[in-house]
Amino acid sequence: MSYCVNCGVEVDATNTQCPLCQTAICNPNQPVDTRSPKPFPEEMEVIGPASKRELAILLSVMFASMAFACGILNFFLNPERMWSLYVIGIAIMLWIWFVPMLLVHKVPMWFWLVCDVLSVGLYVFLISLDLNGLNWFLGLALPIVLLATASVLFLGIALRGGRRSILSAITLIIGTGGVFLLGVELFLDLYFTQTWQPAWSIVALTVCIALIIPLVVVRRVSGLREEARRRFHI
Amino acid sequence: MEAREKKDRQKPRWYKIDNAGVLYTSLQKDTYSAVYRFSAVMTTPVNPEILQLALDRTIKRFPGFHMRMKKGLFWHYFEPDSRPGPFVMSDIANPCTPIRFQDKRSRLVRVYYYQSRISIEVFHAVSDGAGALIFLRTLLAVYLREQGIEIPDGEGILNVDEEPVPEEMEDAYVRYATVKPLRDKMQKAAYPAGGTPEPFYTLNVIMGFLPLNQLREKARSYKVSVTEYLTAILLQVLLERQKRERPYKLKPVALAIPINLRGWFPSKTLRNFILTMRPGIDPNLGEYTFPEIISQVHHYLRLNNNRQLMQARLTENVNFQRNRLLRIVPIFLKDPVVALSYKLAGVRPYSTTYTNPGAFRVPPEMQEHIKHMEVILGQPYGNKVNCASISYGNTMNITFASTIRETDIERDFFRFLVREGIHVKVESNRKETLAPTQIW
Repeated sequence: MSYCVNCGVEVDATNTQCPLCQTAICNPNQPVDTRSPKPFPEEMEVIGPASKRELAILLSVMFASMAFACGILNFFLNPERMWSLYVIGIAIMLWIWFVPMLLVHKVPMWFWLVCDVLSVGLYVFLISLDLNGLNWFLGLALPIVLLATASVLFLGIALRGGRRSILSAITLIIGTGGVFLLGVELFLDLYFTQTWQPAWSIVALTVCIALIIPLVVVRRVSGLREEARRRFHI
Repeated sequence: MEAREKKDRQKPRWYKIDNAGVLYTSLQKDTYSAVYRFSAVMTTPVNPEILQLALDRTIKRFPGFHMRMKKGLFWHYFEPDSRPGPFVMSDIANPCTPIRFQDKRSRLVRVYYYQSRISIEVFHAVSDGAGALIFLRTLLAVYLREQGIEIPDGEGILNVDEEPVPEEMEDAYVRYATVKPLRDKMQKAAYPAGGTPEPFYTLNVIMGFLPLNQLREKARSYKVSVTEYLTAILLQVLLERQKRERPYKLKPVALAIPINLRGWFPSKTLRNFILTMRPGIDPNLGEYTFPEIISQVHHYLRLNNNRQLMQARLTENVNFQRNRLLRIVPIFLKDPVVALSYKLAGVRPYSTTYTNPGAFRVPPEMQEHIKHMEVILGQPYGNKVNCASISYGNTMNITFASTIRETDIERDFFRFLVREGIHVKVESNRKETLAPTQIW
């Protein structure tokens, strides 16, 4: 019989270390039994990700039926206006949001978020087709959508894997939000007045910087960081 | 009319899930299932063919254990499983794997064998520990009979040649929900005994085997039962763990202890019939010595484990399920709400769960064929450690099952017992990092 010198418990003859404290088991009178089977099986059952194929098919059929039915109805109801584009656009957008991630695994979340934002852009494009607004789509909506996509992509890459602390994550989100708003005003000004005169976005960016500075200070100073972790732990 | 009645009788019987089952089915997801395991380590290696024969004979007597979970519009329900099987399987390193209702290969009850060990895994919506142990006891009896050993029925062994008794499938919660309900107050959040999560799906098991006579003697020296004694040790260990972490604010340490209601409310049901108690210590009130913790646990359990309180609580639970507004809410809306309420009322107020189904008794003819019993309370909800114990003969098995890397809770628990003068032998399925040659 072998015992752990740390814990005082008897261990199985096949153990090389104590299961409780991982201390090596050294018993000159009883070497480790390498022939007897272990007390538990060693083969694990691999649990793969659950198949959501049926749900994906159901959702695809639902969205496709919705888009098709409204598309057909458009020929009879108010055919002078392409109102079905709104419904078709929603169906495509929702399909992109929900269905691919049911079928494809091991794709990073930021990729799905980028697709989601681009699908919003696609929907806005379909709206612009109905309203003959290609001009504002290309001049305003598309740049904003692309800026949103870039922001989401940046955040997705910066925050992937959960490596960042909560403080850093909040700092990045606030900073990205401030830059995004700056970009929105830039595009609005360029579209409407062809000159950039930042106003409200500077205020928003200043507020964001004012929020970021104390967060960065707390993050940098270890004493403050520890205090924040204690007070805000969940 | 007669033909119609005959046709109705021939239709497979479906069953509503009981009050506890509602919870477990709502929590059910692809990454979590409330599954537990009971094992009997025999004195001879298991013969899988004979075990399969025994299972085929036994399962007919226990229709409640051969069901499939189906999803209705408002509630889940059971219907008989018409597939061939269940089949005994070679055991795996990661027990109590999640059950996926939609997966055609998934079963609510599984039977494994490894060396001399026969194990059953049961989804908690099917049955509680008491019901599962009757099933296991009967299975073992039939298994031994198939090898030519005479084992009489009775003493928790059902006659497998008899037809199932309807009382065994009753929802005992509904039967006894006849008094004025008592709503439990929302409990404070307890210290969560968590840690670093392991990859999915890993269930780390550490089992301790103790001589029951030594344990009983020690518990008697404190004038408490074995359950109260072990509960107090676990509370002590968790209190010290929280203290080591030096949190900003100390939280109460409390355990979820399931209580078998059949002692108070006679029922032959093999389904769920349990309620949970919450013995705990609040360290904000000051330092507690171990005898003081024992006293708190002892008096709490004596005070709160009474028929009137249990009946009022179970009536409240049943009334909640009977609520007309709740009943008409579709299941896809109901499940997340029930799951959330469980997180608030069933997880947050508890540091961990400790269950003790008690002594596993068998007829004298079976005793010499079983070496000891084991129990594993499966995957905890959240990254935590669960504790369960069961005794057979003079061996008490205490098992910790966790989805975290750290072993400090188990280590401190068993070291405490060793310091109390109780011999402990441990076995584990955790991977070792040292090869035999590295030691010398």
